[in-house]
Amino acid sequence: MNQKTSFSNILSKAIIMVCAGSLIGILNNTFSQKGIKLVGTWGNRTISDSVVVPHNYEPEDPEAVTLGQAVKSFESQEAIFVDCRLKEDYHLGHISGAVSLPWEEFEEYYPELTTALSEAKEIIAYCDGDECELSLLLARELADLGYKNVKVFFGGWLEWTEAGLPVEKGS
Amino acid sequence: MKLLKDIFTDKYTVFAFRLLLGVVFVYASLDKIANPQDFARIIYNYKILPSFLINIVAITLPWIELICGLFLIGGIFIESSSLVIFFLLIIFIMGTSINVFIRGIDINCGCFTTSLEAKKLGGELVIREIILLLMSLQVFLFNRNFATLPGFYRKIFYRWLLK
Repeated sequence: MNQKTSFSNILSKAIIMVCAGSLIGILNNTFSQKGIKLVGTWGNRTISDSVVVPHNYEPEDPEAVTLGQAVKSFESQEAIFVDCRLKEDYHLGHISGAVSLPWEEFEEYYPELTTALSEAKEIIAYCDGDECELSLLLARELADLGYKNVKVFFGGWLEWTEAGLPVEKGS
Repeated sequence: MKLLKDIFTDKYTVFAFRLLLGVVFVYASLDKIANPQDFARIIYNYKILPSFLINIVAITLPWIELICGLFLIGGIFIESSSLVIFFLLIIFIMGTSINVFIRGIDINCGCFTTSLEAKKLGGELVIREIILLLMSLQVFLFNRNFATLPGFYRKIFYRWLLK
């Protein structure tokens, strides 16, 4: 190019490229089988008895429990808490007595826990809290595997620690 | 110092950075285009966009990345492409920094793949994005249209004219 292209020229081409890209994206999305809605539903919602659940929580999913209900189960000592976060997070701290079953490595750790899970009267899955959904995925999987009384504590690690409830570190 | 400057502004350096940026952006866009729902989930995890914008960004952003990446590789509208990429990277850096340094939460990064096992967000990612940002700036400032497709075709066309 002999002349140095002016900035406004560059900018207008850039804007056209962004618009063209967006248009192609929208067109592709319209005709693609994997297309998604232009405006999706995201974020938490509150269901009956003021339990906050992620947007993808379905009515037939395992029951969601509040912090109060989780504490009650914890005190009854008949529930097993399942930590779905990564191993490292579990080692840094978890609900006292909770077992570690990272969702990302489910296949690897699940076999070790079959006895403990089948003996428990109640299984409560939790993860980070604050819209984290690993616990939901894990609870669904456990329910599919035939476990009864699987529940999800969406408040998770965040609500538990904020309430100053018993925690422990290490494995 | 002058040598450093010469190397940095050399047409081969610009060319190398241009190719690298282009490949990175094309590569990063393909998986997102193939799995819009997963990419939307990743954007949602970043928690910086209002929810009504999440899907539309998931639909359009990968195509903008793809076009800019292809144009950089082919040497078409190099300045404009690097400018778009520069602004995209600024947004990415802000998004990751907010999550890594302010929120400190561990979420799926979603930069190269949409699988759950993908790399976790970290300071490392921010550093990588900053390096890419500097490259896009370098390409923008020092591009001299070396080894471009339009140039290549022009050459062939002139040769054909002179025959």
